[in-house]
Amino acid sequence: MDLTNIKVLVCDDSVLARKQLIDAVSECGDGAIFVEAKNGAEAVELYKENKPDIVFMDIVMPEKDGTEALEEIKSIDSDALIIVVSSVGTQSQLKKAIQLGAKDFIQKPFEKSQIKEIFELRFGGN
Amino acid sequence: MYTQFLGNYLLQRGIINQQQLFDALGRISQSKLKLGTLAINEGLMTAREVDECLFVQTREDRRFGEIAIERGYLTKEQVEDMMHTQTPDFVLLCQIFVEDGVFSYEDFERIIFDYKNEAELSDFSLDTENQAVIKKLIEKFFWVSETQKDDRNSMYIELLFNSLIRFVDENFTPLTPMVIDEFPVTFGVTQRLISKGTYDTHIECDRETAMAFASKYAKEEFSEFNEYVVAAMEDFLNLLNGLYVVNVSNQFSVDIELEPPAVITDVTLKPQNKLIDLPIVYSFGTIHIIISY
Repeated sequence: MDLTNIKVLVCDDSVLARKQLIDAVSECGDGAIFVEAKNGAEAVELYKENKPDIVFMDIVMPEKDGTEALEEIKSIDSDALIIVVSSVGTQSQLKKAIQLGAKDFIQKPFEKSQIKEIFELRFGGN
Repeated sequence: MYTQFLGNYLLQRGIINQQQLFDALGRISQSKLKLGTLAINEGLMTAREVDECLFVQTREDRRFGEIAIERGYLTKEQVEDMMHTQTPDFVLLCQIFVEDGVFSYEDFERIIFDYKNEAELSDFSLDTENQAVIKKLIEKFFWVSETQKDDRNSMYIELLFNSLIRFVDENFTPLTPMVIDEFPVTFGVTQRLISKGTYDTHIECDRETAMAFASKYAKEEFSEFNEYVVAAMEDFLNLLNGLYVVNVSNQFSVDIELEPPAVITDVTLKPQNKLIDLPIVYSFGTIHIIISY
């Protein structure tokens, strides 16, 4: 898949989780540009600066959690494409994330095929 | 999960020691079950009959099954059935102990019988994993007598064992949890759960063990202790606690807040009220799950 100039914001406090997501996206295709944030506050700032095409957002993070960051990013850009990637997926959290505008939820630990499905659906015709 | 429980049972009874367990766990994935072991487990042959056939096998170059059929201990159909039976891994663990001379086939026969009796499992088959059996085993062997017996604590232990099996490596043995006064930590990760009270969960191990654990969890080889190793330990704890939060929410309609995981170095853990240590023995080292509440 051609991902040339597709900007991907990966927001997770775990350096390993960020690496695994970047590896998974890189396996989908070439050319993506990655921006990494390690908490919600950084994610909001980096979103403003970079206007990424897709955001992967963890929930449990220091400083500003994923739900707050999701809400802020959506208030800046209502079209933001945000995928929540978390090990915590209670019904109420899922509901909240969807209400706030998350497009999808991936339970950790994720399979690379789940990331591939998302990219094929969103950028398959790219 | 029965393999893990049986290892604990054997240690508790002094039938094996930790070194013997380490050695056996290290070899379990390369070992294959033998027909004689299966036949004892299925109750088709006695240990004495198996030993007799094994003795004959040492003198005649023939298969175990052929000898057992010829002597009328097994039928051809039984041999074929056993080849296709799914056998729990704890049987394989026992076989390794027999091969290592830790105990005999006769001991194996008795151990399985005693184990089922002590765990009050006589009505259950141990051939397929069963939720009720697992709950019973956890309550029987992994309960700290000073703590309150409740479904949520039992759920945490079960999720821990399941997560280790699914995401790290199934060849481990949990030792019996202990209430302790303090626990000195050189390296570890921690995560706080907040509901009515606070629960501080920790994983402690030495750096070599952390590297092996992280390599298995992340499915990539870490040859040095780096930020990815630390992150993998945090991710595992976060995953375990995340699963717990979801399950408690679904089953008990209780919301638990989860703080981000963090690293701890050179501290001594003290209880808020109680401090519990649940050691998990792998062939590559021991990790301690420590909970303070």
